[in-house]
Amino acid sequence: MSAVTSAAVVRKRRDPRNASVVPVSLLLLVLFPLLLMPLAAIFIFAGRSGLGGLVSALRTPDAQFALRFSLLIAFGTALINAVLGTFAAYVLSKYQFRGREALGVLVNLPVAIPTVVVGTSLLLLWGPIGLLGRLIDPLGIQPMFAPAGVLLAHLFVTFPYMLGAVKPVLDELDVTYEEAAYTIGARRWQTFRFVILPALRGGLFSGTLLTFAHSLGEFGATVLVSGNLRLRTQTAPLYIFAQFEAGNIESANAVAAVLALLSFVLFFVLLRVTRRRPAPGR
Amino acid sequence: MSIRLIELTKRFDGHVVVDRVSLEIEEGELFTLLGGSGSGKSTILRLIAGLLLADGGRIELNGRDVTETPPQERGTGFVFQNYSIFRHMTVADNVEFGLRIRRVAAAERRQRREELLDLVGLTGLGDRYADQLSGGQQQRVALARALAYRPEVLLLDEPFGALDVKIRGQLRRSLKEIQRHLKVTTILVTHDQEEAFELADRVGVIERGHLMEVGTPEDLYHRPQTEFVATFIGGGNVLVGREEEGRIRLGSVLLPMPEKAGEHEAGAPVRVLFRPEKVLLAEGRSSERPGAYTLGRGRLVSQIFAGALSRVALDVQGLEGARPISPSPGYGQRTTRIEALLPSEASTPPLKSGREFWIGLDSYHVLSPSGLKVLVCVDEAPAPQPAVEFGALLARTTGGSTTLLTVVPADAADGVAAGTRDALESLRGAWSGQAPRLDSRVRSGDNTTEILLEAQEGLYEVVVIGQGGRREEEQMTGLGTTARRVLMEAGVPVLVLEESRPQIDRVLICTAAGEPGKTDIRFGGRLARRTGAETTVLHVRPGESTPAGRRRAERHLEQAGAFLGSLGVRSEIKLADGPLVETILAEAKRGDYDLIVIGAPAPRAVQRLRWRDFATSIVSGTERPVLVVPMRE
Repeated sequence: MSAVTSAAVVRKRRDPRNASVVPVSLLLLVLFPLLLMPLAAIFIFAGRSGLGGLVSALRTPDAQFALRFSLLIAFGTALINAVLGTFAAYVLSKYQFRGREALGVLVNLPVAIPTVVVGTSLLLLWGPIGLLGRLIDPLGIQPMFAPAGVLLAHLFVTFPYMLGAVKPVLDELDVTYEEAAYTIGARRWQTFRFVILPALRGGLFSGTLLTFAHSLGEFGATVLVSGNLRLRTQTAPLYIFAQFEAGNIESANAVAAVLALLSFVLFFVLLRVTRRRPAPGR
Repeated sequence: MSIRLIELTKRFDGHVVVDRVSLEIEEGELFTLLGGSGSGKSTILRLIAGLLLADGGRIELNGRDVTETPPQERGTGFVFQNYSIFRHMTVADNVEFGLRIRRVAAAERRQRREELLDLVGLTGLGDRYADQLSGGQQQRVALARALAYRPEVLLLDEPFGALDVKIRGQLRRSLKEIQRHLKVTTILVTHDQEEAFELADRVGVIERGHLMEVGTPEDLYHRPQTEFVATFIGGGNVLVGREEEGRIRLGSVLLPMPEKAGEHEAGAPVRVLFRPEKVLLAEGRSSERPGAYTLGRGRLVSQIFAGALSRVALDVQGLEGARPISPSPGYGQRTTRIEALLPSEASTPPLKSGREFWIGLDSYHVLSPSGLKVLVCVDEAPAPQPAVEFGALLARTTGGSTTLLTVVPADAADGVAAGTRDALESLRGAWSGQAPRLDSRVRSGDNTTEILLEAQEGLYEVVVIGQGGRREEEQMTGLGTTARRVLMEAGVPVLVLEESRPQIDRVLICTAAGEPGKTDIRFGGRLARRTGAETTVLHVRPGESTPAGRRRAERHLEQAGAFLGSLGVRSEIKLADGPLVETILAEAKRGDYDLIVIGAPAPRAVQRLRWRDFATSIVSGTERPVLVVPMRE
């Protein structure tokens, strides 16, 4: 007991600020080339040809389309998955049924599967010679190599993010809140609308942002299902890749800078929201 | 009648948590359900609110059957222990929630909200959020929210459980005022006896899903009917004595039987309760004795200072023979332990342990005569159904309780014991519908020894042993070794049977062996009275009969008939000549009796041997239940 105390006293006597200098600078040293320099490179390159060059690179129809299309898809994905994910979280959290565990694992599977595999499997299902695609192809419906295919791929890939953000909140929300609403006279949907949904606000918001951000940067699955058709299915990441391959580093870099900036903004908003979110239901 | 529960039953995973609870609560009453954790009290409340659906029975609110009604339409106000204030709404929005759902106009909502916030003492705090309020304030909001839409009944589930003592007291007083003011029928669930007493008009005590007793706090404290309530509420000394000619025999002490004590039959057990504060002490050897009734001399064992009072434990001599129930006797304790409360005074030093006193009582209370306490021995294999069935029937018809006992060998692996426990628990679950108070116990050790120990420690009145699972070699002698040893040594009536009976309508009491017995007639009569059965008293005279012997037998039978008549039991007298066992068995078959009662003579070695053959022959000669009553000298 006394030995521990004296050791603590000795340690206390050293200035704690001095003690942290070595490990912190070591960490920075590691992170600098790994994370910070690459990010900085984007902006340094973007600024090299001046603001004018950047703007003109962004004003080409292809870049414009790619950015807008990416934003649109991200927006749609976030919206649809917000509803689907919340619904899935509600069912998984509130109902007891056989196979609940299995279903819980299943809906989280997209995190583990490589996105390229997701793209391949979607092609094998909906593609012109795919299992289902073969049947609907004669009807003139071709989801693959079309915006719908991109949306499908993004929904698949980002599905777990919404669930992951909402379900823990639902799980922690004491059942008595619902029960209180029922005894007060609220129907099931009223209870959901007025009691549960407001409690989920924080989770919903961060889940949606997360989904949006992931959709914005999605590459692996998109590149397969979209066919990378410019002005039709080319998202911003695909555009960057295509421009790079063609040697138009400036065009690629301009869009990359925009994407990075967007991501930063989303990330900081997310950080603020999650930090400010009040502890739900306690 | 504002709230009516009729035979309300709820099971979780086959486990009965609310067992046929019937209760009526008056308009405007504040009723408290008091019970330990896991007693099923909260489950009852949730059933009333509709948050759980009943598995059996009915619920009526103001004459309306709401058993199947969803919670939204029951019109109850529910307050949870954790407040459950909606965090994203202001206090005002919380209170108005029920009105908003009911589409009440905004102006009216506002007016009602202000009214309620005034009522619960939160005037002006309408704009706050839950995290800006203390626990006590949150619970006030919850109360206002539950009252806003004028519910028919108010249900409070441990509303003060999460608050500290001081706030709890304040909130209790507010609740009582508000309830008196609004006259809303209220049920409050709590484990806190003080809270129940302070608030309630009436209290219902719940234990293991059974509603044990309902009464005013005064009734439950001073005049409880059941052992459970007597020991659960307040500290209490409970001793079991015997009725003796209109008085109560407690060891060497005789106490008068209070007038309101309920009807105790001759020689029946009498449970005497005296609260610690009714125990008085007088020091020294003086002839002056404390209180109205003297218990005897006692020695101080310990004294604990508890503020206004000090808790004193005493060992009393002279109460041997009276079985202590509470405080529960320690292992190997010879003397009777009694608890007393003495007012503590600053000037006097603590009493020394070992000091002797005269111990007296100011007053005492006699619990209601109990139904039969039945112990059923359950062997693992094969199915012990007849014993359980008949034991449960016996307990049910006499208003008593049943305990299922299984003994596992001392050297059995843990898994075996656990398996046995599970098997016994599922048996208990399966039979709990048929027996109102069904318990289970698992002991480990030698089968017979443990059965005898349990019978003694648990103060059972009947031990039931099934004979369905006899092994081959035992079948030759007619009786299993365990059953035989229990029969010989139990000291309480033992019931042996091979097949159960659907009812107990006809009882055959045989007064055959040796001197005409008294205990067997008394016990058989008591049993017949409780079950409402008819009795036949049969006296068989084996061998030659002298006129004098015949007259004596007739006189004895007459006395037996008169005694049974005095109990209100219909009886028929039969005198028969012939071989003992055969005559009894023939009569048993002829009259289709549900139960055969035979007396066992006082344990004297020579007689014992002969008697064993007799009892064994009777038991093995019939499949019907045979009750062997040991006779007292």
